[in-house]
Amino acid sequence: MSIVLDVRDVWKAYGDLQVLKGVTFDVGETEVKVVFGPSGSGKSTLLRCINMLDPPDKGEVFLRGQSLMAKDANLNMLRARIGMVFQQFNLFSHLKALDNVTIGPMKVLGVEKEEAIERAHIAIDQVHMTEWIEHYPAQLSGGQQQRIGIARALAMDPDVILFDEPTSALDPELIGEVLQVMLDIAKAGTTMIVVTHEMGFARAVASEMYFMDKGVIVEKGTPKHFFTNPEHERVRQFLLRLEVLYGGHDQE
Amino acid sequence: MTDFGDMHGFIPLQGGLWSYLDELGQSFLITLELYIVGLVIGFALGLTFAIMRQFGGRFLSKIAVGYIEIIRGTPLITQVLIIYAIPVFINAAGIANLQLDWYLYYIDSQGRIAITLNWSILASMLGLGINSAAYQAEYMRGAFASITTGQLQAATSIGMTRMQSIRHVVLPQGLRRAIPAWSNEAAYLPKYTVVAIWVGVMEFLNMAKTVVAQTFLSVEVYLIVAFCFFALITFVSRLLDYVHKKTKIPGV
Repeated sequence: MSIVLDVRDVWKAYGDLQVLKGVTFDVGETEVKVVFGPSGSGKSTLLRCINMLDPPDKGEVFLRGQSLMAKDANLNMLRARIGMVFQQFNLFSHLKALDNVTIGPMKVLGVEKEEAIERAHIAIDQVHMTEWIEHYPAQLSGGQQQRIGIARALAMDPDVILFDEPTSALDPELIGEVLQVMLDIAKAGTTMIVVTHEMGFARAVASEMYFMDKGVIVEKGTPKHFFTNPEHERVRQFLLRLEVLYGGHDQE
Repeated sequence: MTDFGDMHGFIPLQGGLWSYLDELGQSFLITLELYIVGLVIGFALGLTFAIMRQFGGRFLSKIAVGYIEIIRGTPLITQVLIIYAIPVFINAAGIANLQLDWYLYYIDSQGRIAITLNWSILASMLGLGINSAAYQAEYMRGAFASITTGQLQAATSIGMTRMQSIRHVVLPQGLRRAIPAWSNEAAYLPKYTVVAIWVGVMEFLNMAKTVVAQTFLSVEVYLIVAFCFFALITFVSRLLDYVHKKTKIPGV
């Protein structure tokens, strides 16, 4: 299996606060990695370092062998191959849903308008938002906006998609529709890195899970490993607390 | 010999003031000219400085701040006078020999020369434009800053360059949001065009002064001047209200 993303020894500090302290891992084709842990552990920062929204202080990130840190790297083109889905959706509010999805392929990838619309329709069908393509983001619910956000990422046909707590800002009723979409695309073979505390999702499709705390990956393992017998006490406690809080609403 | 007897009575608008209609009309056209060109120069320059200040690096944004502070900190009239005097200075200092007595004109309905452009008018337009730019820049920057960084991050993460993000995400939303504040400038600028009197432009107020000197109908004439400005400004405000409504993003 080819390695899509290779993250090596990434360090990141904000002022005096060391948020990431040497994170290393890789992601292979079609794998789904779930990163979880307490808030402040650096999970979101890690994602933002990967696509260089906030470049790391030390360390390197390789996308299919190409370093994002190289001086002559075409960062914009590399970023176009890394999709991102945000906690706050971040749709372009002046564009209809369809245009939100076509603008990336058209303006960044130089795709012709008709083909971009084709692509957009396919992506929007995948997220089950076909009747809403003429609506503006402000006219959509959070779950609908997030699904368009996922379509926007899919339409770029990226090598990997990063999900930064995609359901954390959603009402409980809306979480399900977004998780379902994520499950579908995971099963369809999309390479994903997902920061989330939706353990049901992890249990269903994660190839590997990483527990992060205070800027380091404390434990790596399969879902089975984590849910039957985690190594560290810290992990055990965290999972227990999640169980207590979310036990009732766990999706399959 | 003029009869000064009924100066205190109501003097109807026939005979007396009607004969000045042509001149007043021409001079009002000059005022319109000053206004529109000044506003357009102000918009182009203002947009540039707003983008420089909000999105330029440290260097560009410092230049923009410097410009805005200097222009807003000095009177419009000194700016116009200085611009007007620059070529005079250049000639006197022997640096070059610039022609200042040129003019563009048309022949009006009574066969007289009606000047549309000369150095005084051009200097006034430049002064008004450079001045207006500083205020417009701030209105627009305020609107740009109100666009969430989240959308900009989304634009970056799909691979847009800085310029593309500005063009496709910031400007479409920012310019719309700036309309209410910007219409302040559009409404004030006609009133400021009167500074052109100081460099000898025969604009509306200047012509009105001449008519008063010849007819002694000061109250009537200045009321007409006030009313014409009122009509112009009301028209512009209504127009901008309409534009604002028509360009509203649904749901926002």
